[in-house]
Amino acid sequence: MATQAGVRRLTALDEGATALGLFAGQKATDAAALAPELVTAEAEPALDQAALVALADWCARFSPAVAIDAPDGLFLDITGVAHLWGGEAAMMGDLIARLATNGLPARAAVAATPGAAWALAHFGEDGTIAAPGEEEALLSPLPVTALRLAPEATAQIARLGLTTIGRLAAQPRASVTRRFGAEVVQRLDQAFGRAGEALTYRRPPSPWFARLAFVEPISVPEDLARVTGDIAALLCARLETRGQGARRFELAFHRLDGVIQRLVIGLALPGRDGARAARLFAPLLDNVDPGFGIDVVTLLAQEVEAVSSRQRRLDEAAEAAVEDGIGPLVDRLANRLGPGAVWRAEAFPSHIPERAVTRRPPLSPFAGVGWDPARPRPLRLFRRPEPIEVVAPVPDDPPVLFRWRGIRHRVTRAEGPERIAQEWWRQPFDTTGPARARDYYRVEDVDGARFWLFRAGLHQPGVPAKWWLHGLFG
Amino acid sequence: MSRLARFMAVRAQVAATQGRGGASECVTPFGYARLDRYLPGGGLPLGRWHEVAGEGVEIEIGAAAGAFVAALAAPLAARGAVVWVMRRGDLHAPGLQGLGFPAERLIQVQVRDEAQALSALEDALGSAGVAAAIGEVEGVDLTAGRRLQLACEKQGATGFVLRRRPFGGPARAREEGGALSGSAAATRWLVASAPSAAEAGTSGLGAPRWRVSLERCRGGRPGAWIMEKSDGPYPLRVVADLGDRQLETPQPLRLAG
Repeated sequence: MATQAGVRRLTALDEGATALGLFAGQKATDAAALAPELVTAEAEPALDQAALVALADWCARFSPAVAIDAPDGLFLDITGVAHLWGGEAAMMGDLIARLATNGLPARAAVAATPGAAWALAHFGEDGTIAAPGEEEALLSPLPVTALRLAPEATAQIARLGLTTIGRLAAQPRASVTRRFGAEVVQRLDQAFGRAGEALTYRRPPSPWFARLAFVEPISVPEDLARVTGDIAALLCARLETRGQGARRFELAFHRLDGVIQRLVIGLALPGRDGARAARLFAPLLDNVDPGFGIDVVTLLAQEVEAVSSRQRRLDEAAEAAVEDGIGPLVDRLANRLGPGAVWRAEAFPSHIPERAVTRRPPLSPFAGVGWDPARPRPLRLFRRPEPIEVVAPVPDDPPVLFRWRGIRHRVTRAEGPERIAQEWWRQPFDTTGPARARDYYRVEDVDGARFWLFRAGLHQPGVPAKWWLHGLFG
Repeated sequence: MSRLARFMAVRAQVAATQGRGGASECVTPFGYARLDRYLPGGGLPLGRWHEVAGEGVEIEIGAAAGAFVAALAAPLAARGAVVWVMRRGDLHAPGLQGLGFPAERLIQVQVRDEAQALSALEDALGSAGVAAAIGEVEGVDLTAGRRLQLACEKQGATGFVLRRRPFGGPARAREEGGALSGSAAATRWLVASAPSAAEAGTSGLGAPRWRVSLERCRGGRPGAWIMEKSDGPYPLRVVADLGDRQLETPQPLRLAG
């Protein structure tokens, strides 16, 4: 039940309510008058949407390409996967049966175009399978509503007596376009396969998809490890024959109760070594909760690109190529510690010390640009400068004495200042003006420890300057 | 067989039982004869792991020790990648470049705890293509030290353990950690900064200097020096010998009887 334009209306009904003659869109007061025992609940579209998304994820066991058709439908692109079930009919039967087991009544249809499948699933006979070329015959008796048109267009078409798709399709295209807009003709063409239709898939359809189904559900950790190796070998063999490698592998365990557990590994260089991928998955398998058992495992390769196969050297023990040695190490570390935990520092064109370094993937090619050797930088740079108490002659001499973390340091040598202004082109002027400039000094204390200090802002008579410690030289 | 020859044979046998394979016989000399003589084989042994520590506040910030390690590892970077494992991401690559270390050869790894740091360090040392690995850890116990040594022997990589305590962390068993640590390390260095000497006629900072003491060394002798960052063929230059040992006449072998 939801409030639409100030009126409480029914949005969805169960079978019992339908049998009483109630219908969606009915006013709640009318419904209550007809069936005083009616039990109502507030509609929760957000939860419905979340449930639909979860269902779409669950459907990944049938096809990697699942598109959500809000509010209550799903498109599955089953091109090239139906044979795994022994045909479209068997696949659809399995899908409906599994949904019914989970208490989800559903209608399904198979057709060559999304438009025709939608129309048949919503208004045709449940479970229709339209062979290619049959769409026109099957769609003709269906109401115009089955074309997924805007309600206004549907109402207008119905007023003119064009109640079925067949009658509408028999009209001259030019006059239909003129009267009802281009959308009507486009929807007709899409349903009949004369125009393409792009679906937004929940995840990109990929031919690099492998699936293993088990007669008996598995749950033992050793079995999980073994099927991981099997499915990785399966997919990697296909990648190998096509000369491709992937940078990401997504392994999904589909549990009997419909829960899907996904594991992802990334590779620094595109690879197709099944054994290596399985080894990278191995430590993650501990996190998989098999529940009552796992009946389907799928593996999806992402970021697939061409990889030239290197010939194995005869003297394998000898010098290994850099990619052979470092690549697996980076993969192991990055998958164990997280994707951002392994990097190579590279120069970024900025004077601000914190911004002068960017983190790049460790095996990315080196741009060949370093930092300016004329500007010495500390070995340890604090993310946040630490405040220090300073004795310094004004206006802009380096300090002679400062206290950091409770320890007094007497400065014997100093270099500077190096004035670093804020980047005024990135932020408003008041936050980057001359008052925000920093004067950096390199100082050395009596013991030889070296510090990188700065004074915030310019010297102003009568205002004590603020000093900060930003880094330490070795 | 002469007495000396027999002595050398026994010494070789002892070295063999200590697990020093062929790869570990390589060394990088410091280029200063009076220092290299203290080390077995006349230089810093490769294919082993070395421990570098600081003192006082330095054990938390690891700046002088870090710079010393970077200088030691700089020549190794020409042979392969260098991996730096740390718990705090405060290592600043421009500073490394300033110390003559090729920052583009460095792979930085950030870990969350001590166990991860040790396992990442061990993993890096055992990988092909890694010339050296540096790990900032609190301490290395006997087992971990032995594992590091085995990893080093796999591919001949050189390890550096930079003793560093997390900021503000508890001073965890300094005595026990200190006593256990280093037993499997080839060398153990204690590093502190030392006042630099500016070039004549200038008032700024000179090349960075460190007071370095070789606390223990397998098959070598302890000693102490003041070293300076150098742009010459060797990354470090010895400025002065410290301690009373420099007065001893060098005796590489002492024969009994």
